[in-house]
Amino acid sequence: MRLALAIASFVVLLVHGLVFYQQFFHKWENYQTAYFDQARSMAKTDAEKAALAARSPRVEQLLVTKFGDMRVDRCSTCHMAMDDPRFDKHAQPLRTHPYSEALGDRQVNGKWERRHKFADFGCTVCHEGQGRGLQEEFSHGHDEYWPEPLAGYIVQENWRKEYQPKLKGKDYMQANCAQCHTEKGFSGTPMVEKGRQLFFSSNCYGCHRIEGMSDGTLGPDLSEVGKKFRVDYIWESIVDPRANLATSFMPKFHINEDEVRALVIFLKSRRGMNFAETGLQRYRAAIELKQPAGGTGAAMPTGAALLAQGEKSIADRACTACHKLGDKDGGIAPDLSYEGLVKSEQWIYEHFKSPATMTPDSIMPAFRIPDEEFRAMAAYLASRKTPLASASGADTYKALCQRCHGEKGDGHGPVAIYLDPYPRDLTKAGFINSKSTERLTNSIKSGVAGTSMPAWGQVLKEEQVQGVLQYVFATFTKEPRRELKPLKAPDQNPVASSADSVGRGEKTFVQRCSGCHGRKADGKGPNSLDILPRPRNLRNSYFVNSVTDRRLFESILYGVQGTAMPPWIDYGLSQQDVGDLVNFIRSFNPKPVLKSEASRSDNARGN
Amino acid sequence: MSQDTKSPSLWTNLREMPSNAWHSLFRNPLPADDLGRASTSFTNFFLHIHPVKVHMNTLRPLYTLGLGLISFFLFLILTLTGVLLMFYYVPSTSQAYDRMLDLRGTVAFGIFLRNMHRWAAHGMVGVVALHMCRVFLTGSYKKPREFNWVIGVVLFLLTLFSSFTGYLLPWDQLAFWAITVGTSIAGYAPVFGKEIKFLLLGDATVGQEALLRFYVLHVAVLPLVLTLFVAIHFWRIRKDGGLSRPAEADAPAPAAVKAVEPKQNKTYGLQGFVRGPFSKVGNVPDNTVFSWPNLIIAEVFVLVLTIACILLLSMVFDAPLEEPVNVMHPPNPAKAPWYFLGLQEMVSYSAFWGGVGIPTMFVLLLLAAPYLDRRPAGVGKWFARERLLANTIFITLVVVNVVFVIVGTFFRGPNWEFISPWK
Repeated sequence: MRLALAIASFVVLLVHGLVFYQQFFHKWENYQTAYFDQARSMAKTDAEKAALAARSPRVEQLLVTKFGDMRVDRCSTCHMAMDDPRFDKHAQPLRTHPYSEALGDRQVNGKWERRHKFADFGCTVCHEGQGRGLQEEFSHGHDEYWPEPLAGYIVQENWRKEYQPKLKGKDYMQANCAQCHTEKGFSGTPMVEKGRQLFFSSNCYGCHRIEGMSDGTLGPDLSEVGKKFRVDYIWESIVDPRANLATSFMPKFHINEDEVRALVIFLKSRRGMNFAETGLQRYRAAIELKQPAGGTGAAMPTGAALLAQGEKSIADRACTACHKLGDKDGGIAPDLSYEGLVKSEQWIYEHFKSPATMTPDSIMPAFRIPDEEFRAMAAYLASRKTPLASASGADTYKALCQRCHGEKGDGHGPVAIYLDPYPRDLTKAGFINSKSTERLTNSIKSGVAGTSMPAWGQVLKEEQVQGVLQYVFATFTKEPRRELKPLKAPDQNPVASSADSVGRGEKTFVQRCSGCHGRKADGKGPNSLDILPRPRNLRNSYFVNSVTDRRLFESILYGVQGTAMPPWIDYGLSQQDVGDLVNFIRSFNPKPVLKSEASRSDNARGN
Repeated sequence: MSQDTKSPSLWTNLREMPSNAWHSLFRNPLPADDLGRASTSFTNFFLHIHPVKVHMNTLRPLYTLGLGLISFFLFLILTLTGVLLMFYYVPSTSQAYDRMLDLRGTVAFGIFLRNMHRWAAHGMVGVVALHMCRVFLTGSYKKPREFNWVIGVVLFLLTLFSSFTGYLLPWDQLAFWAITVGTSIAGYAPVFGKEIKFLLLGDATVGQEALLRFYVLHVAVLPLVLTLFVAIHFWRIRKDGGLSRPAEADAPAPAAVKAVEPKQNKTYGLQGFVRGPFSKVGNVPDNTVFSWPNLIIAEVFVLVLTIACILLLSMVFDAPLEEPVNVMHPPNPAKAPWYFLGLQEMVSYSAFWGGVGIPTMFVLLLLAAPYLDRRPAGVGKWFARERLLANTIFITLVVVNVVFVIVGTFFRGPNWEFISPWK
């Protein structure tokens, strides 16, 4: 027992010794001693020498109060010589901080004078790092938990290896310059400026919000992204959006490494309110943002020049990051290769201006691109009028249908999850075989209004349409087509539309339909999440107006096979009730008029 | 004035001062005989908690494993380092983290103090739990020690709560989200859940109010309550007859002493009533030894060993300090302190049962154990055969808890999905 006690006591003693050594012998003391020695040898006067000899190592610190919360920068404890011009050839940490005219330093009487004096700015305002630390590991930010390692100098161990070399370089510090130098086009921060331009030219702003700059809602808000994330995370999110969030649908943009770097530096500079801003300035910027993007007033080219400009704009504006056009495919949004045969130039233009008014559930953002460019892009897309070469049903399906309806015809094509309504599941024989061949042919040829199903009528010849339909029947539906019995339903709604009828329809709708179609009839009722295909959005006017009364009656009375829509005739709805429902549904779906047509008719009246 | 009443000269007083001071401080010289050993124990304030003589069984290292003592010494270390840390700490959301950075980087011994405090705190939670296992598995909670067991359970809960309140103080991401998770577990309690949570946090979320409350609880309220209960715990050990020991380790029943049938017309002295040997001295086997030095040296050894372990741990491992608090950016997964990860794991199955129902039942079961299990058999032996049922139930519950803690700590990744720690 006594021996064990002696050993344990010895361990305690030993550890105490080690701890004392660790706590009292610091590296920074060696640096300071070295500085004093060398400065003494350079000293010219005896008084200076004596003053240096009298100094002993101590913790040096700068208190910086002008930039946000008070900062304590103890960097000068090691970097003793940073403001001593005699040490410009020495090795770190005893080296003069370089003087630079680009930073605003000036030579007065042969002596450099700093624009950003250390006493005012400290170190971490520009360089980041952890000002309070006295060990390199912590103060330079090697520690993986420190959110701000020395910008452009330190990469942390746990950052992805392939990004580490790309995240070094002085230009990363520009993100910190931009905390005060906020003016657009400031010459000292070219990378921030380049990133800002890329943010707009690559259409980032369409999905992302940055307070005072953009108001996209599809992607995360980036107003404070520089405060929240480190450069490695931002870099990764740009080049590999799904690395952190498997469900992210941010496209991979075709931009080179320099551009990514500029974007990262620009985004790193977004930290909410910056040092130079006031609340009023931010408010003003937000107001300016609300102004609609007008034209630039530039003269519009015509003919081939217009098309060339449109083609260039589409390439510059990164449209193919989402859309398919020719061989470029972003894998998110519809194929634009045959756009001229599918939509009119006017429709394309109006869709650019406000996608959600033309396709109600579209996720495409309304980009703030100058009007002239929109016109040129619409003209170019409308000029794409080459129909698909004759091919077998299978090849036609592969070329046009598979991207949405999927390889297996089950409606799970690669872009399907971005489309609303979801593409039809062609393997559901219940649905396909309960619809007449005529209606299916029509859907292919004229498309389905208000949805992403285009009208292929001009792209495909009649035999191609039939070929692809037969291919679908044989490959996906599989069950043989059966004779359809005509259903008993009126061609026209026999119930006249009136306030009473709409009121009764609304009552029935709330009682019977809102569980799936939702109280707003937008197809998002409480049960809708469990149902595939999803309940129809009955506020989609383009769709509702394209459907005849007869089809509405049939769908309500006899249900829609292969979907969750039940035959309501079995649940006691009479023709009268359905008539009221149809009147109710039609009552909030006025016939839409293309804006241009409306203004044209206004003009006509004016004339 | 006669020679012998004359007071000693000032010179003599000065000369004898050191030895007089020493003797007034320590009234006994180092004991050389049993009388001295006895008086050493009961004339010294710090030693008088000990009995003069202590049972041999108490000194068996493998019987107690010294766990209670280690807990107490860890508490002493925590108090000492905690008071020193208090000189540097500010319970303010804007300063707390900076103070941590200063402790780590600039304050002499700062990081070391923090390490010691941190590892001693984790250690205390573990050792107190092990101590409880020891007491249960040796059946030591039985009569007459029932209430001391109850106090022990309360001390265990107080230890957990002290550690939990201290967890928030560094005000880094680890602290903030662990407390967010931990207090939301409290919020699952029925009826008063939300109120308890609000009372703890002083707000709807963890913020400045919560930091202040946790600080006051951690540095004042809980240590005081804990000290009080520790004192009662120790006092009760004495009053309950020292540590538990097997029945056969005690003195055998004294030789039969028969009462005498009193004759009516005879006057008896008190001793006349009994037959047989009058005194037990020398007639019973004496299984006790003097506390000085046997018990004292064992205690000092445990103390030094505890300090050595904590010092070594603090040399090698630094207490974690993660990013400053970012309310908008929770880590995934956000985990409670390790000793609550069993709860969090159970909460992932059912918020009420995992977070409140089962733990409450477990604590009630612990508190009620000495009143449910009244059979006197099997006291003082590890895993006594007579206590097979009780021990099996207890071990099962402990193992289940430990498994949940291990699963919660190592096998849960983002979104609380099962991951393998070896990949």
